[in-house]
Amino acid sequence: MSPTLSQPADQLIPELAPAQRKLFVAGAAAAVVSLVGLFTNRAQFFQSYLMAYLFVLGATLGCLALAMIHQLSGGAWGVVTRRLLGASTRVLPVLTVLFIPILLGRHYLFVWTHADVVARDEVLQHKQLFLNTPFFIARAALYFAVWNALVYFLNRWSLEQDKTPDPAIARRMQTLSGGGLLAYGLTATFASFDWLMSIDPHWFSTIYGVLLMGGQGLTALAVLIAALTWLSRRPPLDAIVVPVHFHDLGNLMLAFVMLWAYFSFSQYLIIFSGNLPEEITWYVHRLHTGWRFVGLTLVLFHFAIPFLLLLSRRVKRTPDLLMKIALGILAARLIDLFWLIAPEFHKDGLVVHWLDVTLPLALGALWLGCFVWQLRGRAILPLHDPQFEQALGRVASVS
Amino acid sequence: MRAPATPPVIAPGHTFGTVTDKITSIVLTNKTPLGWWAGFLFVSMFAGLLAVSLTYLVLTGVGIWGNNQPIGWAFDITNFVWWIGIGHAGTLISAILLLFKQTWRTSINRFAEAMTLFAVVCAGIFPLFHTGRPWLAYWMVPYPNTMNVWPQFKSPLIWDVFAVSTYGLVSLLFWFVGLIPDLATLRDRATGRASRMIYGMLAMGWRGSARHWHRYETAYLLLAGLATPLVVSVHSVVSLDFAVSVIPGWHTTLFPPYFVAGAIYSGFAMVLTLVIPIRKFYGMEDFITMRHLQNMAKVLLVTGLMVGYGYTVEAFMAWYSANRYEGFMMWNRMTGPYWWTYVLLILCNVVTPQTLWFKRVRGSVPALFVISLVVNVGMWLERFVIVVTSLHRDFLPSSWGRFSPTIWDWSTYVGTIGLFLTLLFLFLRFLPMISIFEMRTLLPAAKVTEEA
Repeated sequence: MSPTLSQPADQLIPELAPAQRKLFVAGAAAAVVSLVGLFTNRAQFFQSYLMAYLFVLGATLGCLALAMIHQLSGGAWGVVTRRLLGASTRVLPVLTVLFIPILLGRHYLFVWTHADVVARDEVLQHKQLFLNTPFFIARAALYFAVWNALVYFLNRWSLEQDKTPDPAIARRMQTLSGGGLLAYGLTATFASFDWLMSIDPHWFSTIYGVLLMGGQGLTALAVLIAALTWLSRRPPLDAIVVPVHFHDLGNLMLAFVMLWAYFSFSQYLIIFSGNLPEEITWYVHRLHTGWRFVGLTLVLFHFAIPFLLLLSRRVKRTPDLLMKIALGILAARLIDLFWLIAPEFHKDGLVVHWLDVTLPLALGALWLGCFVWQLRGRAILPLHDPQFEQALGRVASVS
Repeated sequence: MRAPATPPVIAPGHTFGTVTDKITSIVLTNKTPLGWWAGFLFVSMFAGLLAVSLTYLVLTGVGIWGNNQPIGWAFDITNFVWWIGIGHAGTLISAILLLFKQTWRTSINRFAEAMTLFAVVCAGIFPLFHTGRPWLAYWMVPYPNTMNVWPQFKSPLIWDVFAVSTYGLVSLLFWFVGLIPDLATLRDRATGRASRMIYGMLAMGWRGSARHWHRYETAYLLLAGLATPLVVSVHSVVSLDFAVSVIPGWHTTLFPPYFVAGAIYSGFAMVLTLVIPIRKFYGMEDFITMRHLQNMAKVLLVTGLMVGYGYTVEAFMAWYSANRYEGFMMWNRMTGPYWWTYVLLILCNVVTPQTLWFKRVRGSVPALFVISLVVNVGMWLERFVIVVTSLHRDFLPSSWGRFSPTIWDWSTYVGTIGLFLTLLFLFLRFLPMISIFEMRTLLPAAKVTEEA
């Protein structure tokens, strides 16, 4: 086994440090521009912020879920991307702090926080037991506590594993991942109810949590593929990552594209055919105004086009092509969140505000900067992963 | 490189010859074991009961069942969904695990696929006979007829016709194509003239040439690709039978994935229920090892948790919706006249499988057998709860009703179990229950060693 691989990524890949610097500068610039919006159009600022925030949070939570799934399922795809998964989850403390603006801007986002509105609305009075500010904050605190705890222990043990190939560490991580996935499933579901579904507090859909989790998994895979492609162009990973790894990741991404479409279509078909007043409202203003073009964009770019492209074996084995699809999917993920949030605030028709562009850029660049920052500190491959040899050991020793 | 404690997928010490001998000897023998006869006679009595029940039904009408207004669907649909769900394990094991390159599927896939087919047969009986006039069942198929009548394409019931028939057909093809090389082995090893003829015809001229194998591999992979969406689509369509309506308890967006998870859950429970006694009876512990049982136990735990997630979200949303009918539906499920079915369902499907978190439980064959039985019961109860408790009290209290199954409801249900097991006994006796040639590829001797 090559001794150099155990060094921190920073020393092996000199491009990481300048990339991080550029990303932070770009993120800060976009953030400063966006802050103007806080004074010109405060409601819009928070709406766009929620979208941008959930987009980057989805990348981190998706990576957390994939990391835990990989602990249980194994597979070469997870061995080559394990450090990317880990770095992505370690952005969570930053994201925890970045959640605070949503709490501060809750009056602009959640109509149920207005006492006068609730006083006039029987349904909201019924829901007050759940939809009230103290409980909302307590739940958010619980979600972040659970996620941060999972991130903390998984990453700490992963670091221990770098030092010693003790199989007990791998077993411990597996045990935590089993319970952790269960905890993730429940917290991510209720977080999606809290932060997204309750924007329209009258509306409800039981598949919503699953739909959002599918989206998070897809965001995470797209990030992984893009990052791995970038890394595989330079040493040391250029000699280690082979088309098979991309093929596996591409297949997983295809599976998540299909899952997302399946969940979305299930929700649409069932609500459409039931046509009940309390449910169909969600689709009425989305499908009878200019928003329908956003819906159509999703059908094409979140499902049809990536689906057809990812069926091809050649595409999945060509990192450059796969990365382009992954970037397209990231854009589609953002549009999906836009579709979930923005129409609730502009029921008359499609409105795209400049903050819908600058805030995702700001948070996206900051997230990516943190991701690179976290990536630099550790070895780029989990050398003591129990499946390391099987996944790429032979290739690695050649280098 | 996994933890060394993991048991192997095939016990050490086997060679190509012993694998072939072991599996073919069950089929190519003149001495049918007495236990087989005893079991076969026992279960075929129940299959006979099914014949009696259905004959009486056709002669009399569906009035012999307990279905009524408002409970127009009861045991029939409960059983239909239960059987269709059981079939899903077979498709998942054979198609998805094949695509995921999970070699442990090899010794159980043949068996699970057979189970799928027989489960689809049993499932099909219920809607067919519930129409009351099964001889007119072809009216469900869209064909240009002189009456100029078409099925209602907007109805998920017609989607069911397509989904289930496609499922049955693809499962049959997949199973048969997978059998061909083994049928050829049986043909070559058979001593009797009749068996040589029959296996020879079924083997369709298989000679095992390189070209045959090449075609075979391509066809099998294509069929696996075709079967994969079916794992999801069939039970999604079944769930839509309920979900596209506006009945509280049926109309909920989570139904498609939640039904699919439940289907896989019940399917794996049934595989365990059947495989545990069979591996014991035929001494197949070398091929169907603890590794298989443990992996299936893990699938059971995961899908059980998914189903539990479904129950949780459903109950929460019934309250959160602030819709009084939704709220009442959940309240009625938990405290109404059928409360005990709901409580039992939670005990069977959510509480019991939590024991599978423990390695000791996953490693204990008797425990797994008991848990699998409990889950089978639980998944039946789940469908009963969904179908009956949602229907018996919907919007208008003046139209509320009760359902109690008649003797014919029970005899038809037990009868399909009899038919299912009868077919299974025949399968075990006349076809190789484990894929011989795929097992051989698992042997160390089959691995090409790489010399640099």
